[in-house]
Amino acid sequence: MLSIINSDNRWIKYVTVCLGLLLGAIAWEIFGLNSNPAFMAPLIGNDEHPGAAVRLISNFSDQEFVESLIGSARLFITGFTIALIIAVPFGILLARLNWLRVALDTYILMLYVTPMVALIPFVLAMMGFDFWPKVVVVFLFSFFPVLYNTLEGARSVKPELLEVAHSFRSNEIALWTDVLVPYTLPYALTGIRQATGRALVGMIAAEFFLSTSGLGKEIMISSRTFDMAGVLATIILITIIGVLMMRLAQALEQHFSSWRGLER
Amino acid sequence: MLIPLEPIVISDLLHASPTLDEPRIEVNSLGKRYGDLQVFKDINLTFREREIVTIVGPSGCGKTTLLRCIDGLMPSSEGEIRIDSDVVRKPREGVSMVFQHFGLFPWKTVYQNVAYGLKLAGVRKTVIADKVPYYTKLVGLEGFENSYPYQLSGGMQQRCGLARALSMEPSVLLMDEPFAAVDAQTREILQFELLRIWGMRPMTMIFVTHSIEEAVLMGDRVVVLKGRPSSVFEVIDVKLPGPRSRETLAHPRFSEVREHVWSTLMDEVRAAEFEIER
Repeated sequence: MLSIINSDNRWIKYVTVCLGLLLGAIAWEIFGLNSNPAFMAPLIGNDEHPGAAVRLISNFSDQEFVESLIGSARLFITGFTIALIIAVPFGILLARLNWLRVALDTYILMLYVTPMVALIPFVLAMMGFDFWPKVVVVFLFSFFPVLYNTLEGARSVKPELLEVAHSFRSNEIALWTDVLVPYTLPYALTGIRQATGRALVGMIAAEFFLSTSGLGKEIMISSRTFDMAGVLATIILITIIGVLMMRLAQALEQHFSSWRGLER
Repeated sequence: MLIPLEPIVISDLLHASPTLDEPRIEVNSLGKRYGDLQVFKDINLTFREREIVTIVGPSGCGKTTLLRCIDGLMPSSEGEIRIDSDVVRKPREGVSMVFQHFGLFPWKTVYQNVAYGLKLAGVRKTVIADKVPYYTKLVGLEGFENSYPYQLSGGMQQRCGLARALSMEPSVLLMDEPFAAVDAQTREILQFELLRIWGMRPMTMIFVTHSIEEAVLMGDRVVVLKGRPSSVFEVIDVKLPGPRSRETLAHPRFSEVREHVWSTLMDEVRAAEFEIER
């Protein structure tokens, strides 16, 4: 019996994961059906206890909700993309320019550990309520994990490889494309994976604390009317998106670091 | 009984056929210091066209540093190096280096690694597509073009490093203890492979090694570095009949030169050992 559970068989793993999810769903359902609908909603539910999963599915035919979803996606993608586009080259640049890194190192570490939620009032005070202040919030949440990991990666480039590039008369641009970027990419992707989760937090926080919009607004509206099915439906959606993005980042990370696998 | 070998003075050697005796690389009063540590000083050497010169010395004598200076990878502290009468300040065309650590890019395939230098030199893609398979085959890596370095043994990785250097068709090949990181049998195979390739396309080769056997087997001349800071103690004209092969190892002259170098270096090695123990 134990040998079956500990086996490496893919199907057994798959079935185990599904069983775990199913058990969790059943527990949720029982708990939800026996709670006050104003505090907790089940997944499927009935007339008296509206279900969160059912609501999630019906939400997709609600045009207002779909617009909220698109608005959040636009915010997330804009902030996250700008963070990546700046953080990765900047991280490599800092590794190349030692004096600049030494000058900024403390700031980067400080901002890396700062709870970004605490900075939201400043963003609000300085920039107001529009779309772009929210982008700044998402950017702040995701920028530093990417920068930090990229910098660590670029700094660990083997000096032997730099020497080879030098010996073969590489110029600075070729040094980046042939050596620095490929070497640093797996490290940057580790940062990107960490940053996806943070960016989601930033997205919802921005939508809560600046002018309410997007999925954050959906949660706010539902909670004001004690519509727990609506609140949980949105949370489930955000969670699923988060898990999918984490998986995507993980797959990319593995793809670009396959050469690291068997290195001595 | 050892037959004493006369130290060879470089200027005495400049009287055979003029084309081959023309000095290609001149090292003049070269010295290297790291802060207070003087690694070597007052090194004077001349390397001629199509000559294999091996540099041997105890570990820490700066032989690899000397080679890096010749490649232009690091500046010297005193003196100068001239290749074809130009002072070396940075890595130059026509000079390729093979590294002890192989220096292959782990995310590039064998093909991409061999093509690396050509691509940097701006060689056209169609030319690269001709040259890379030629040199891959020359070093015996045919069929492994799409493998990644981690899928290859140490010996095969160094074959790839050699192909990368040869594909530049250099007139000067610098070898930095190229076979020090591979096992003994592979090392022997690679030594003769290198001699075979050199026979097909002779070039000036400076070969740094800590193995006395390797130095005597490969070199037309053997440079012995010695002392602290080290300097050229002796330049030995090996005068073994060519082409070198496994039979060379059994030649009486081979053991004669090997023993001579060994006895020269022995007290130095002992001193180094003593220093560590103390």
